Amino acid sequence: MDLNVAIGGPQGGGIDTSSNMINRAFAEAGYNVFGVREYHSNIKGRHSYNHLRVNEERPRSLRYPVDIIVALDADTIFEHLEDVGPGTKIIYDRSFESSDLAQARMIMRDTARRIKETLDGAKFPNTVKGAVDYMKSRGGIPMPIPFNDVVASANAEGPAARYFNTLGSAVTLSIAGLDQKFTIEAIKQVFSNKEKVVAENVRVVEAAYRYASENGLAGKPLKTLQKKKRFLITGNDGSAIGKLMGGLRLQTYYPITPASDESTILEEHEEYSFIEGEKNRLKRGGVVVVQTEDEISAVTMAQGAALTGTRASTATSGPGFSLMAEGIGFAGMDEVPIVVTLYQRGGPSTGLPTRNGQSDLLFALNTGHGEFPRIVLSSGDVEECIYDAMKALNYAQRYQLPVIHLIDKNLANTTDMIPDIDTKRVPVPQTLKTVPSSDFHRYSLKTETGISEMGILGKDIFWMTGDEHDELGHVTEDTEMRDSQMRKRFKKLETALQEIPINDQAILYGPDKADITFVTWGSQKGPILDVMEDLKKEGISANLLYLKMFLPFPSEFVKKVLGKAKLIIDVESNMLAQAAMVIKLNTGISIEKSILKYNGRHMTEDEILKAAKDIYSGKSKNEIEVLQNGA
Amino acid sequence: MAHNFKNDVTVDWCPGCGDFGILTSITQALAELNLNGNDVVAISGIGCSGKTPHYLNMGGVHTLHGRSIPFATGVKLANPNLKVIVPSGDGDMLGIGAGHFVAEGRRNTGLTLIIYDNEVYGLTKGQAAPTMQLGEQTKSLARPNVFGKVNPITLALSSGYSFVARGFSFDMKQLKDLIKMAVMHEGSAVIDVLQPCPTYNNVNTMEWYRQRVYKLEEEDKNWDPVITPGNENQAEEKFQKAYTKGMEWGDRIPTGVFYDNRTIPSFTKRLNEFVPNYLDYPPSQQIVTGKDGYTPVDPYGTFAEKLI
Ligand SMILES: Cc1ncc(C[n+]2csc(CCOP(=O)(O)OP(=O)(O)O)c2C)c(N)n1
Ligand code: SF4
Ligand SMILES: [Mg+2]
Repeated sequence: MDLNVAIGGPQGGGIDTSSNMINRAFAEAGYNVFGVREYHSNIKGRHSYNHLRVNEERPRSLRYPVDIIVALDADTIFEHLEDVGPGTKIIYDRSFESSDLAQARMIMRDTARRIKETLDGAKFPNTVKGAVDYMKSRGGIPMPIPFNDVVASANAEGPAARYFNTLGSAVTLSIAGLDQKFTIEAIKQVFSNKEKVVAENVRVVEAAYRYASENGLAGKPLKTLQKKKRFLITGNDGSAIGKLMGGLRLQTYYPITPASDESTILEEHEEYSFIEGEKNRLKRGGVVVVQTEDEISAVTMAQGAALTGTRASTATSGPGFSLMAEGIGFAGMDEVPIVVTLYQRGGPSTGLPTRNGQSDLLFALNTGHGEFPRIVLSSGDVEECIYDAMKALNYAQRYQLPVIHLIDKNLANTTDMIPDIDTKRVPVPQTLKTVPSSDFHRYSLKTETGISEMGILGKDIFWMTGDEHDELGHVTEDTEMRDSQMRKRFKKLETALQEIPINDQAILYGPDKADITFVTWGSQKGPILDVMEDLKKEGISANLLYLKMFLPFPSEFVKKVLGKAKLIIDVESNMLAQAAMVIKLNTGISIEKSILKYNGRHMTEDEILKAAKDIYSGKSKNEIEVLQNGA
Repeated sequence: MAHNFKNDVTVDWCPGCGDFGILTSITQALAELNLNGNDVVAISGIGCSGKTPHYLNMGGVHTLHGRSIPFATGVKLANPNLKVIVPSGDGDMLGIGAGHFVAEGRRNTGLTLIIYDNEVYGLTKGQAAPTMQLGEQTKSLARPNVFGKVNPITLALSSGYSFVARGFSFDMKQLKDLIKMAVMHEGSAVIDVLQPCPTYNNVNTMEWYRQRVYKLEEEDKNWDPVITPGNENQAEEKFQKAYTKGMEWGDRIPTGVFYDNRTIPSFTKRLNEFVPNYLDYPPSQQIVTGKDGYTPVDPYGTFAEKLI
């Protein structure tokens, strides 16, 4: 089974609950679900949807057209006009049919204009009925359902609309052929066994299944697989879990999408539990999460904590990261171990506050004035978020510098099912000092690696200043000391490049030699790996140079891989192909072809596949293919 | 023997600068409190004032312009056992860092803020600081100051600081005592220190201040700014008195303790109610490595609700 679903409705209208039901129901039957959440910067009313994919194997990308569209409101039908293909089932409330596009005030004006042009062009009326007929003309199968009647038949208490999300999910699951018992189990989990709510919703599920079978909608029964325990988590969750495991004990943040969820999750888990055998050894402790007055405070407060020997970090997104620039420079200059998790969204300025982007790479590499060392690493899937967050904290401690961990919005809001979390994959070295250092020179030049002994406030007497400083940490403008301290700081990057395993810097997926060599970073990893398999079926071989660390940069490895490449295609969610620029800067290699997307929506398997084939076959002569999928 | 808080780094303030008196008051206060070099840290911003930590024999961080407060808050939160003093400029704390100043009042983390109030930006050559009076013209200003002044005392009170005082850098005995009280105060304390800058401020000179300053407790024998547990009902009246005194400026300038409310729980105490074992086992003391060198944290137990 390989099922793609888009379930949409008004923001605040229970879309997440619906997806959660679908996720859990399939999980109960042993399937894997992978999903991405798309939403407006709005609290109530505007269109939001979840794009899900269900498979026996763990999916890692999404595809259009979808197999099922579930519309919990009229806007969803209009918004997803183009996401249907032959066989797409369109589930919606029959009462939506008369809704007029002109009345759909929550659809962005330009979106409404484009929908109107499409419908007018194809000579369909500007109503949901017209839109459904348009979808039908493209092979869609309309499945209008009397939402109110079905809910009424369930005798559920309260307004019918309260149950539309349960209804939508249940119909979807019935169409997919999933046994009702799994759906009911999911309902119990979603409503955390609140008896009355569960009972009402279970009746709605039963009514939905009944309706589907009486009206010939129910799919043929899906085989039940072996159910395994898994974590159902997002990229935000992954980073929070990794940080806690990686020894984080103080996190600061100022609210911003899509970063604050991470801090909220940490705050909800301010008491952590121990693995077997540690409870008796270690004291019960907690992680401190502080909501600060702004991001300048967030990045500097985390550093204050770091100076006491605490593993500390902050998480933000573009606008907040811009404010952090000077503070990150201090961490570079004064060798303060902090992690800044940078959740990238569409910029510039406030940009696309809730949409995807990868346009902060060059900024992350150059944040702050002057020259100072930093480590910039990036994650590409939910599991990587966990282990990279741990590594980021380790790097910060080992190399005493700011570590910027890049996660794109798409990944932050990706829901994935993780088979396990391995506590033994990434070591967590203890850096806490028990004995103060005598005659302590915080910035001692007697070091081969560039790393000098860390000072701990409360244990050691030492000084620090954002000015250039001597070995003791006092202000200096001496020419020779300046040169030496600059070299000492940058030496740490050479050390890091040598010490960090190459697999944590860049990975080559697929054969050594291939017809197409993709280059990417971040959340396009999954879709490209799927595209590689699609291409293989068509007799085209492909491999992927997947970049994880941008500073220090694995130039030798990248040169080696790209040196053998026949056709290199760079894939990124930005306009300027920033990773390709970094490659050029570090290796001199120019990448001629790019697939780029900057409309803020997640990249899907189908659009990358099409663009890659167009480039490969010569059908497209463009240097840049710009992708446009997504409502 | 008591720790010597003075070190041998060359002090490069101008001769006659009020900063010297503040430095001496700090070292004396800490010594009289019998503190050790590792019990207390100084976190400053940027300016002439910001150099203070380098002249002290204790952990010292000379941070960024305006950011001393959040750096210091981070230190205190991660290690609440440390005494954290924040010697910084009036430009630093009430201009570029004013947002942090207000936020710290709300937090009440337990910092000792020492404002070097010279009404100018010393290190950038005498521009008007936010504490300068409207219409005042010091020697490096091309025309009289066009901005109104922010009042450190009333701003501190309105921001929620639980200890608010004013000192004068040429009255080191009083200033030393104020610093001692502030350091021992559980919540966050503000001391506005009148600090003549002979190089750029030719209006508010040492003499100018000498003629005007008086001590609250000497003027009014019944002056009692302290609110102790059990007497929370006095808070409003004492706050209003402090505020009224805080407004006084011009021919007569009050010094001493304006407000000392010991009933407002510090941020660290508030955190202790939620974060398990926080005060006993704060972030900076926690062991983050398991006995095998891997994490001791169990993701299965901690994030059990995410298991399906
Ligand atoms: C972000 C930033 N902007 C400007 C400066 C330049 N600068 C250095 S000191 C200073 C003013 C210092 O005035 P104040 O805080 O009152 O300290 P004082 O020198 O008077 O003690 C300024 C504006 C800086 N260091 N950083
Ligand atoms: S400029 Fe003013 S504040 Fe700065 S050192 Fe000189 S006298 Fe002191
Ligand atoms: Mg000043």
